Amino acid sequence: MTTYRPSPWHLDDDTLRAYADGSPLPVIGPSVEAHLPGCSDCRERFDALIPDESVDRTWDRIRAEVEAPRRSVAERLLRWFGLSAESARLLAAVPALQGAWLLGLLVVTVFAAVAALFAGEIGMSLFLMVAPLVPVAGVAVSFGGDADPSHELVTVTPYSALRLLLLRTLGVLATSIPVTVLVGLTLPAPAWLGVAWLTPAVAGVTLTLLLAPTFGATAPAATIGAVWSVSVVSTARVSDPIAVVEPAMQLALLAVTLVAGAALILRFPSLDRLGRHP
Amino acid sequence: MTTITLDGIGKTYGRVAALTEVDLALSSGITGLLGPNGAGKTTMLRILATALAADRGEVRVLGEDPATPAGRVAVRRRLGYVPQETGFPRGFTTFSFVDYMAILKEWSDAATRHDEVRRVLDLVGLSDLGTKRVQALSGGQRRRVVLAQAMLGRPDLLVLDEPTAGLDPAQRGRLRDVLGRAGESATVLISTHQTEDVAALCERVVVLDGGRVLFDGTVDTMIAGAASRVWMGAERHPAAQHAWRTGTGRFRNVGDPPRGAELIEPALEDAYLLLVGDAARDAGLEAVS
Repeated sequence: MTTYRPSPWHLDDDTLRAYADGSPLPVIGPSVEAHLPGCSDCRERFDALIPDESVDRTWDRIRAEVEAPRRSVAERLLRWFGLSAESARLLAAVPALQGAWLLGLLVVTVFAAVAALFAGEIGMSLFLMVAPLVPVAGVAVSFGGDADPSHELVTVTPYSALRLLLLRTLGVLATSIPVTVLVGLTLPAPAWLGVAWLTPAVAGVTLTLLLAPTFGATAPAATIGAVWSVSVVSTARVSDPIAVVEPAMQLALLAVTLVAGAALILRFPSLDRLGRHP
Repeated sequence: MTTITLDGIGKTYGRVAALTEVDLALSSGITGLLGPNGAGKTTMLRILATALAADRGEVRVLGEDPATPAGRVAVRRRLGYVPQETGFPRGFTTFSFVDYMAILKEWSDAATRHDEVRRVLDLVGLSDLGTKRVQALSGGQRRRVVLAQAMLGRPDLLVLDEPTAGLDPAQRGRLRDVLGRAGESATVLISTHQTEDVAALCERVVVLDGGRVLFDGTVDTMIAGAASRVWMGAERHPAAQHAWRTGTGRFRNVGDPPRGAELIEPALEDAYLLLVGDAARDAGLEAVS
């Protein structure tokens, strides 16, 4: 049996210094690398040549790399869309951008679309009923004390409440709208119908945001959902289901959006107490 | 220097008065807030942390008026807050949660922000758990995550609602060290049920009961109030407000001692029990007369 013994030779100072500086050593470099782990004398001399701050810097870099927060799928996707790392992180805390919600959203939308494809007018009513309510529900689960478990901590930060609100709303809309638009365009109906539900959706979202500071987000969203569902069903009973998104209705909903949006901006100072906490 | 003034503060939830006519002036250093459950401690801390507006009275925090939006933001920029309870967004790791809070506290440069996050995690002894999900941490560890975010940016005002709840003795020792250092420059207000924490840390104690200030002064003054009202005896004395069997088998009695009782040095806890007990008795007498 042979025992490993350190080689009897030692590295000279010039080589060690060059190695410590990081200069390229094409010939002797690999030998230095092989020698150092086995020779404590050379290692000690080598240590003395490395400035402490350089070791600290390297260590800090390693630590930063190891501890760098892992980004969730949603966060990476948002980054890919060109959002700053900070905004992406703020959005990752929103329930409507987390896996379970996204999956539920997909299931509901596809279900409504399948119904519209195969169940004729009733199916079309179902799609028109569900499509605008998806983003409204997304906003409802993303705001207010019930939705944000760290609400109290977030409230007392200096970050602008209006900015956070708009950022989160955009996040919700960015995930819920594209899926529904794509699904809507596959329907056996004029193409404008695939996007006609956007007006009620935006009106519903704006109203929910406006009412959330006073009533919490859930109650207004549920009321809007009920009113919209009744409108869709009653329209379908007297005429073509599509009538509920015809031009006159579109104009009316646009007016609602504008008024609610203006009121929301005027309420701006009171927004930092969003939610229903006592 | 006075950093916080409360002037005739009142807060009512429905019909329940949480705070009635509270006047208080606090300065830098550590103040302990004691009081039974429902005394109004959390309400008072939430008002100071700008999480809640008072119904009546005037509040000045670090020279700002939290009733105005601009004043609120100014206070929030210099505030560290540990609420009594908080949840965490799903799926966040320790590091990403504290980083998230740092973003909300306007640390926009990623490199300095990450350095600061590492600093506060080191401070509370959580640097090894940065990559662990917050949901997977123990109760004491989660409490320290909340404390870590409160220490971001070395705030001028720390409002801590039961920060030691759920911590083991070693962690509490470490926390005392961290808070003691913070109290050298900042105004630190700690509510707790642990009188030992107050005795160990605080220059000043405020006792709240039924929404009113029962006592406001130094720890020594409060303890002095219990002088010659604590005694040891072979049994539970009928005149004692509180009495319990100690490890030696003898009884520690707190209240009005009989003649010739074997008096001992009171602790802050005795003084606290007497304050709250006397107040309840006086209230009872008033109701009768």
